Amino acid sequence: MRNLPVSGSDAFSGFHPAVLLLYFCVVLFFGMFSLHPVLLAITFFSEFLYSVLLKGRKALKFNLVYMLPITVLVALINPLVNHAGVTILFYLNGNPVTREAIVCGMVYAFAFITVIITFSCFNQVMTSDKLMYLFGKLIPGLSLMFSMVLRFVPRYQAQIKKIAAAQKCIGMDPAHGNWIRRVKNGVAILSVLVTWALENAIETADSMKARGFGLKGRTSFSVFCWRKRDRTLLAAELAGFGAVLAGLTAGEFQCGYFPVIRIAGLEPKAAVFYAAYALFCLLPAAVDGKEALVWNRLQSAA
Amino acid sequence: MEQIAVRGLNFSYPESGGACLKNINLSVDKGDFVLLFGKSGCGKSTFLKQLKPSIAPFGKRSGTVTLDGKEIETLSQRDESSRIGYVSQDPDNQIVTDKVWHELAFGLESLGYGSETIRLRVAEMSSFFGIQGWFFKPVIDLSGGQKQILNLASVMVMQPEILLLDEPTSQLDPVAASGFIRMLKKINDELGVTILISEHRLEEVLPVCSRTLFMEDGAIRLDTEPGGIGGAMKKAGSDMYAALPACVKIYAEFNGGETPVTVKETKYWLERHVRPRMPKPHVDAPSASGEFAVVLRDIWFRYDRKSEDAVKGASCNVPKGVLYSIVGGNGVGKSTLLSVIGGVRQPYRGKVFLLGRELSRIRAKERYRGLLGFLPQDPRSLFRRNTVRKDLEEMAESVFPSRQGAKDHLERAVDFFQLEPLLERHPYDLSGGEQECAALAKVLLTEPQILLLDEPTKGIDAVFKEKLSGLLTALKKAGKTIILVSHDIDFCAACSDFSALMFNGEILAENPTGKFFAGNGFYTTSANRIARGVFPDALTCEDVIRLCRENSTGA
Repeated sequence: MRNLPVSGSDAFSGFHPAVLLLYFCVVLFFGMFSLHPVLLAITFFSEFLYSVLLKGRKALKFNLVYMLPITVLVALINPLVNHAGVTILFYLNGNPVTREAIVCGMVYAFAFITVIITFSCFNQVMTSDKLMYLFGKLIPGLSLMFSMVLRFVPRYQAQIKKIAAAQKCIGMDPAHGNWIRRVKNGVAILSVLVTWALENAIETADSMKARGFGLKGRTSFSVFCWRKRDRTLLAAELAGFGAVLAGLTAGEFQCGYFPVIRIAGLEPKAAVFYAAYALFCLLPAAVDGKEALVWNRLQSAA
Repeated sequence: MEQIAVRGLNFSYPESGGACLKNINLSVDKGDFVLLFGKSGCGKSTFLKQLKPSIAPFGKRSGTVTLDGKEIETLSQRDESSRIGYVSQDPDNQIVTDKVWHELAFGLESLGYGSETIRLRVAEMSSFFGIQGWFFKPVIDLSGGQKQILNLASVMVMQPEILLLDEPTSQLDPVAASGFIRMLKKINDELGVTILISEHRLEEVLPVCSRTLFMEDGAIRLDTEPGGIGGAMKKAGSDMYAALPACVKIYAEFNGGETPVTVKETKYWLERHVRPRMPKPHVDAPSASGEFAVVLRDIWFRYDRKSEDAVKGASCNVPKGVLYSIVGGNGVGKSTLLSVIGGVRQPYRGKVFLLGRELSRIRAKERYRGLLGFLPQDPRSLFRRNTVRKDLEEMAESVFPSRQGAKDHLERAVDFFQLEPLLERHPYDLSGGEQECAALAKVLLTEPQILLLDEPTKGIDAVFKEKLSGLLTALKKAGKTIILVSHDIDFCAACSDFSALMFNGEILAENPTGKFFAGNGFYTTSANRIARGVFPDALTCEDVIRLCRENSTGA
């Protein structure tokens, strides 16, 4: 049995949910909390690339049409409201505009859109099933509850529409009459829904009992399985993450923008840590790229 | 070999006075396919639940039920849930989880199987049922018929020996229903599972079952082979004789003994025994040229801006004072079209005229007071109060300003629909047919001139169907125009003046009912399919029987 296919899915999202979650946690952590320009550039570039690989033209359009103006806007607004920093470039309406504020604004802007782009990938890759499966592992029983909620919420939504339509057709909907009448009709619709839900819940409970719900030793089945390739990817992730942590503790990624710009890790020996981080961030793109190459080779060989 | 033995089983619910099951004795062999039928409320469901203690209702019970010689109550819950499967009426209520694969695994998870076993069993069952393609789908994307197949499959993964089914097809359209019954036949034939099924619609299930039980007032009245039920029911003079399929009724009218159970056999018998009679030229229905109650002009509707059209240029003219039925398969846009006529949804192109006025120009207040009445598919969404009386009173008071006026109209409605004995009951405790009547009474309190009904015969037994048909005819005589959409061809043929076929969002053919069905090759009543070689214009069993008497060859 293969893992869940997602619309617009790629090779990377076919890996085990735990490996995927680790990847996104690390990237989102650095994207949100590190303002180091080199790290940020790496994160931004990798996630931009991955979003395009994942969603194609749609992602490109989204990144350029919505994200680019936001970057420009944030980069412009910051120096207008933030006057800290020592290098005054010029005065605008009597307020100093500093170089530090301009640079910091650009960094903020990139950090902001990087997080948004990463989340757009996260949403596409980490579908509700995968999250449910992971949380279900942490708290057994939760995954069934999740699944039931996902089943019943849309059902209730559909039913409330039906009830509202039925009530409208006997002239008793919340859109008509004086406001007392409207409130009364609105409440009535909810009460019809509750009666309906309770009535149906009896049958659902029977169906669960009939299939042995409540017996001791319930197991939890999932469509995900742990394969060798998941182990390989996890090893790569851990290696990259370890190197980045080492760099972090060595103080290579420190930076500050006020009052003066101080950025650590610009010497050549830091390159090894950046390489490790880039390796980590580019894992999805690498996996997808490899898959595409293999696929092309097989096609042309055939 | 005897598998289930029921001896002297009596059962009564705590509050009700009378017994619900009376002295039931039954022996079911391994591999039997047993059909139970009877009026709603005759105790079918209660009886089936007695065979599965974990869901049996509370009440006073005497007598014994044994499974393979052992008292059924002594089974552990684990044994019981895997050995006895149960599928009930509503496809939606039985589904617990949001994904098809999770639902299939649910029972095995309860029994504590490991992932490998579950994977294998689920895969096996999906292949057996041919539902691999749905495996990763969310349940909400399935149709009603697919949901019911899923319910069956998620019981079958536990490899039960006995399958109990309580009106499993009553909420399905005919095509889905026959698919479901075929699946049961396959389970019975290929896996040897014993099946006990209760049903209202016998046409599909009668040819595949091996025994037929007729229940009345909590007792098993008849227990015959499928071919014997026609003769036995006729002798007993039961009003549920109406529930039997046309092929049985037509044959049993003229012959004793075993009856055929399929259209084919009765068709060839009929063709050997009567002289063909060609129909008289059609007389056009009288009011066709008169005034129109509802006119649809090129209606287009879609649910989302980017979704496909659900209604594609539907046009029709419904004369005043007629019963007009729209038939068609599942998902062709019948219900959607009805909700457009009812003003619930707005078409993005085209116009609806009601009694010569454009619907969108009629204010909502006027629309639903005296002009339009709409009965939705699930009548339960209309009930607001906890007794039928309070519900109808609230409705009457909101329509009629004077207290006396409200009371008078209420009394008249209660009389007309014979609701007196149901007034103090909770609307949800009524049977499907009774709910339909109570809802119809409620809608009619607004005194609509045009009445719209969405699948009025869904889940209703044959006796109630006849009652409903009578009520609709009476309403029509009182000057109401009635439009109904339905899968139930026999019902439409029996009571409507005009019929229209809807396909792919369009109304394709619109004709007086006789001409309409006589013109269709197989989308017609089973009585017509039986007799079309000899009496092309006979639509109902009564027509065929009458014509047989007039044209018998005496052979």
